[in-house]
Amino acid sequence: MTDDPDKVWPTGLNLHEAEEVHSYLIDGTRVFGAIALLAHILVAVSTPWLG
Amino acid sequence: MMFDYRNFALRKLAGIAPRYLPFADVATPEVPLSRLLRLSLFQVTVGMALVLLVGTLNRVMIVELAVPASLVAGMLALPLLFAPFRTLIGFRSDTHVSALGWRRVPYIWKGTMYQFGGFAIMPFALLVLSGYGEAIDAPRWIGLSSAALAFLLVGAGLHMVQTVGLALATDLVREEDQPKVVGLMYVMLLLGMVVSALIFGWLLEPYTPGRLVQVIQGCAVVTVALNLAALWKQEARDRNRAREMQLAPRADFFAAWRRLIARPGALRLLVVIGLGTFGFGMADVLLEPYGGQALGLSVAATTKLTALLATGTLIGFGIASRLLGSGGEPVALGRIGALIGIPGFAAIILSSMGGGVALFLAGTFATGLGAGLFGHATLTATIRGAAREQTGLALGAWGAVQATCAGIGIALAGIVRDILVGLDAGGGLPAHTPYNMVFMIEIVFLVLAVIMALQLRPKSERSTPRTQGVEAEPQPVEGT
Repeated sequence: MTDDPDKVWPTGLNLHEAEEVHSYLIDGTRVFGAIALLAHILVAVSTPWLG
Repeated sequence: MMFDYRNFALRKLAGIAPRYLPFADVATPEVPLSRLLRLSLFQVTVGMALVLLVGTLNRVMIVELAVPASLVAGMLALPLLFAPFRTLIGFRSDTHVSALGWRRVPYIWKGTMYQFGGFAIMPFALLVLSGYGEAIDAPRWIGLSSAALAFLLVGAGLHMVQTVGLALATDLVREEDQPKVVGLMYVMLLLGMVVSALIFGWLLEPYTPGRLVQVIQGCAVVTVALNLAALWKQEARDRNRAREMQLAPRADFFAAWRRLIARPGALRLLVVIGLGTFGFGMADVLLEPYGGQALGLSVAATTKLTALLATGTLIGFGIASRLLGSGGEPVALGRIGALIGIPGFAAIILSSMGGGVALFLAGTFATGLGAGLFGHATLTATIRGAAREQTGLALGAWGAVQATCAGIGIALAGIVRDILVGLDAGGGLPAHTPYNMVFMIEIVFLVLAVIMALQLRPKSERSTPRTQGVEAEPQPVEGT
């Protein structure tokens, strides 16, 4: 594994692997963001804090 | 001098970094128990979600939030809609393409996110649904659709996590250790349900809307934390497998399904699982009210009933782990489990006809024991029956049948009882009659399960060991 020319410093992952790990992070952020937005809207419906 | 120092630091850093990445670098042939115990934490979160939906929220929505009971029943049934898709999820995880060589982790992670998302919006959705605060003026569809979305997300998440998590556990251990893992997974599910039921009850004791938000969102955080802990470094990164994944032809779900079903007894085993789970599942919600109404037990005593049932189930898991681990036949043991349930329910019926409380307790214990044996043995049979590369699909099929039948059983038990009570508006029948009708139905289903299981050829799967699965798979199997 250490002699893989494709490896990205310092994790030892190659580019495809690193991109895949990163895609989980991006997907996670999107889902968390959407959920947070929806939760805020629902709270605003029951206890409005803007005007 | 300066260059050397840099180089040294870089090498040190490179050595440390993999420790903070979520995969194992080597797939060890021997997986220690501590790692399996950690993996089984995902079952705790599944149990927690089930208890929150079926037990806690069921009560809170009706009693504290004053949502109509029929609407509550409809909302709680939504996660069931997703149960058949477990088959598809299991199949997708079998054929997943990943640069890391991962098959199970991406789906467990996705399922965890859905579960978290559902719990994160659920309390607010429920408060809006019940018209809390200013929400009383809000259009009705906002509360309805957001609550439905929350329940769907939680249901989808827990079905994904459980199906793929069980597949991962199966991947990790050798075949002779699988019964132990199945037992461990069941015990952790039960443990998660019992402990979280107690904790939810205790936390929600002085109910306030704020407390509801805290409890459900706390549940969301605990779910993510436990599932992350369970997943960490479990599935190995495998470049060879990643290369194979890229080269493998696009698999077709229906072709894979036909191949799974083509194995002798596979479809019949699923029918047996459905009948047995339905039979045992109907009792869960009725034992406590039956004890109270037909036998005059106090609330505290009926709560202990559930503990007795769970104890029987635990002992069943233990016996099944031991017998199947030392070469027992899972199909035969499943049949014995269903057979133990029949006199168990008969004893429960007879207890209200003069048999007394002792007979009722014995019957409750026996049904718990039977359910434990049956559940463990049929899951082990499912895992053993499938080829190594179809583990996810087989477990998906098991989960789809099991979750659907258990859910329908619980729903039908309440409906049948209510209809019988409603028919008897004049009050001519004794209090135990509606319950006994349900227990009779359960006996009928268990008898059907035993009859179906009798025709499963017990030794049929033994002659096709899983190690040969890949090479042997194109051959027709009817020769065995």
